[in-house]
Amino acid sequence: MSALLLTVAIAGEKVALPVDHIESVNELELLVPVPRSPSHIAGLSTLRSRVLTVVDCRCALGLGISPNREAGASAAIAVHDGHAYALLLDTIHGVAEARSDPFPPSGRLQNNWADMAQGMVETDDGPLLLLEVAALIAGPPEARAA
Amino acid sequence: MDDLFADFLAETREMLEALGGELIAWEDDPGDRARLDAIFRFFHTVKGNCGFFDFPRLEALSHAVEDVLADVRADRRKPDSMLVSAVLGIIDRIGDMVDTFEGGSEFPEGGDQALIAALAPQGDGSNDPLRLAALNDELAQSKVPAGRRTIRLPVELLDRVMSGVSDMVLARNELARRLRETSLEASVHEPFDRLSSIIADVRDAMTRTRMQCLEGLFSSFPRLVRDLSAELDKQVQIEIDGADVELDREMIEVIRNPLTHLIRNAIDHGIEAPAARLSTGKRPVGRLCVGARQSGNQILIDIVDDGCGINEAKLVDKALAAGIVDPVTIGRMSAQDRLSLIFEPGLSTAETVTAISGRGVGMDVVRASIERVGGSIEVDSTPGQGTRLTLRVPLTLTIIPALTVSIAGQKFAIPRSAIEEIAQVETGGTEITRHGGTMLVKIRDSRLPCVVLADLLGCETDAADDDRTLIVLRLGGGELFVLAVDCLHTHEELVVKPAAPAIIATGLYAGTTLTEDGLPMLLLEVNGLAKVAGLQLDALERSARHDAHEASGAVRTTPVLLFIGLDGRRKAIPMAVVDRLDEVEIDAVETEGERMLVVVGDRILPLAGADLAELPEVSLRLFRLTDGMREIGYAIRDALGVRQIDAELLAAEADGEAEGVLLIDGEAATLISPYRLFARHAAVPVRDELPLCHLPAGDTWLQNFVRPMVEAAGYRVVEAAEAELDLAIIAQPGESGPAGARQVIRLRSSAMEAPDDPDSIYRYDHTGLLSALRQSGGRIRL
Repeated sequence: MSALLLTVAIAGEKVALPVDHIESVNELELLVPVPRSPSHIAGLSTLRSRVLTVVDCRCALGLGISPNREAGASAAIAVHDGHAYALLLDTIHGVAEARSDPFPPSGRLQNNWADMAQGMVETDDGPLLLLEVAALIAGPPEARAA
Repeated sequence: MDDLFADFLAETREMLEALGGELIAWEDDPGDRARLDAIFRFFHTVKGNCGFFDFPRLEALSHAVEDVLADVRADRRKPDSMLVSAVLGIIDRIGDMVDTFEGGSEFPEGGDQALIAALAPQGDGSNDPLRLAALNDELAQSKVPAGRRTIRLPVELLDRVMSGVSDMVLARNELARRLRETSLEASVHEPFDRLSSIIADVRDAMTRTRMQCLEGLFSSFPRLVRDLSAELDKQVQIEIDGADVELDREMIEVIRNPLTHLIRNAIDHGIEAPAARLSTGKRPVGRLCVGARQSGNQILIDIVDDGCGINEAKLVDKALAAGIVDPVTIGRMSAQDRLSLIFEPGLSTAETVTAISGRGVGMDVVRASIERVGGSIEVDSTPGQGTRLTLRVPLTLTIIPALTVSIAGQKFAIPRSAIEEIAQVETGGTEITRHGGTMLVKIRDSRLPCVVLADLLGCETDAADDDRTLIVLRLGGGELFVLAVDCLHTHEELVVKPAAPAIIATGLYAGTTLTEDGLPMLLLEVNGLAKVAGLQLDALERSARHDAHEASGAVRTTPVLLFIGLDGRRKAIPMAVVDRLDEVEIDAVETEGERMLVVVGDRILPLAGADLAELPEVSLRLFRLTDGMREIGYAIRDALGVRQIDAELLAAEADGEAEGVLLIDGEAATLISPYRLFARHAAVPVRDELPLCHLPAGDTWLQNFVRPMVEAAGYRVVEAAEAELDLAIIAQPGESGPAGARQVIRLRSSAMEAPDDPDSIYRYDHTGLLSALRQSGGRIRL
């Protein structure tokens, strides 16, 4: 198994995203709020004349509002169901190779981590939690119910 | 018919292309029944279609091959290369025919019999391929050049191209914005303009590829009507009008089911049985008309039957019984509103539930599906005379005319189709009252519920209630409510993209778009706004609207002249300031620095309305506008006519000459503010305000020598004595000036002082005369 992973930090924690779901990584050009949208939707941004829906990953994980909801924040651009999203992250580390298939984590995951994670993967830098892009976009359970 | 024919040709060509390979493979392996069957089916289909379209030659050809292949299938004949060649020859011939039909011309006579003869079993076929080849050569020479070709494309591909084009428009806008920020603009201006116009062309063409005639949809109706009326023992004649009207392909799919449903309803519930019709003095055959027409950027589809109409009393009873409305509300509803109850869920006036129209689920679904695409539906009915249903749908889904507004500095777009009118709080006649957390706005004599957009969206804003602009919005059912926004911007055509599901789920937004400066902007969903704001649509708005109906007589209207500006936009200007319409040669237009001037008759007027616009090549039409004191010209492309608008309906914080944006005939028009226009342009007093100077008609010296000087000094010269004269000049001794003259200048012929006439001026005392002219006028041109 040699799937490529994008290693990023969300809420201070180093995690992995499957690279095949990520189109590019960018800094947000701007951020326009969407009033009354679910809490994990940080707003709208643009990338090359495309409207991006910005997803606050920290918020989707149930860890509160991200402190960097503003232009210039790091984001991974993903296309899901025909819509372009920007996943708001703390920092982007780089690309790593998965050294194993995802395996269930040993302990019980806190907050929304369990809903957002496919499992753990082994990398050269040690084990990382592999998050699911679609789940981050769908947001925390309370947003899905709405 | 044309569409069907085009479909037939395209289908035939496709089958032909697929078949060539099959035929060769079949020749290699004559025992392959599957291939043989496929080939047989092709000729069978073509034969059937030819009969339908009346192509006897094509039919004869395919019939002949079908016969031969039937023999082969029945093992009466062994396929050999001769046979395959002959069949291939006929396939080519059919292909050629299809090409010529498509080009709209006739296929040359002759040659068919030889091809058919070649199919017959040959005793010894060894030399026959040669004969066939010769035959084909001969045919090739008689070929007619193919005309317009069509191809069939998967719809997904078209959609992808369309979305690519929309992206291209957005990318261009972004590029334009970046260019403006740099110093590059001057050097790339020309190619960039060219790029822009190419993109606009491509977008136009692409939009047209998505357009389809309603023909395809309408052509299924006669059959539907025939089947239904047979089933119901009714006689119905259908008339179809406007099948050539074009509509976005997607939109046609959206209206297909609702339209079918409405036609079913009309036949089932509207048109009576022949006996019942005769007893009421109608023709036994009912009439159903389906007509489409384009109106602005909307398509109107009417479904009119001459049946029994909607029984309003019964409808109201049912609505009361179902608890949809209460008796008080009913009492206040207009007849139109009561008829609209038919669109409420769970209502049907039919005595019996039939398999055709169901049990009243339907009209609400019809309305919902039309509203989902930004359309609306209206009903009108006269008992015993019939019912008219009018569907209004936008031409296309992707480009939406919208008004942009802002709250707390963030811009939002509102679909223009939902906007009824725009009002400003500070202008008289509107007042806002608060009642336990809700707001009512009194506009003229009607009270409408008001939603403050900033509150609804939870945005912090420091705009006071009185500074807000009020937008009266119309919901799908015709109910009105008011949306208060901080600021009004402009109207534009927006390329709208669907928003992410999480955003749509709020119910407040219909999509996203990019503004010209590259910011993402949300398109508000009007029905959703009302719903999220918790407006009680049933009770409040209908009654409010009722009030509005009552009060409509009291609304003060003002006439405006609607026209197309030189920039192609719809504009309106108050009738009161328009003096007349003139047309001048284009040479009459001059540019003087920043200002434009136009020579009309003997006057030079400032020209407005021509900035930024390209001037026509030959002649320019213009309005002559006057404020009573001054006159200016306003360049136009076309005058559309006089319309009445609400006198208090003026708005907008727009700069320039616009007073605001308002809806006239269902489309937005920019209302020109005469005040701002004159403030900016007027500098020349109008002719009638020139001081008048009387010169006796018979005095040739005065007329020839003095008149130019007088005119140059800013007087208008009259020869007849008028009641109000500012000045009179007299050159004959002893003569007295006209009675009405306020001032008189007397000229004497001698340079010596004249004791008997001390105030007179020597006729060649240039300086003296000039200063006298200046003094006496007092109202010299500025």
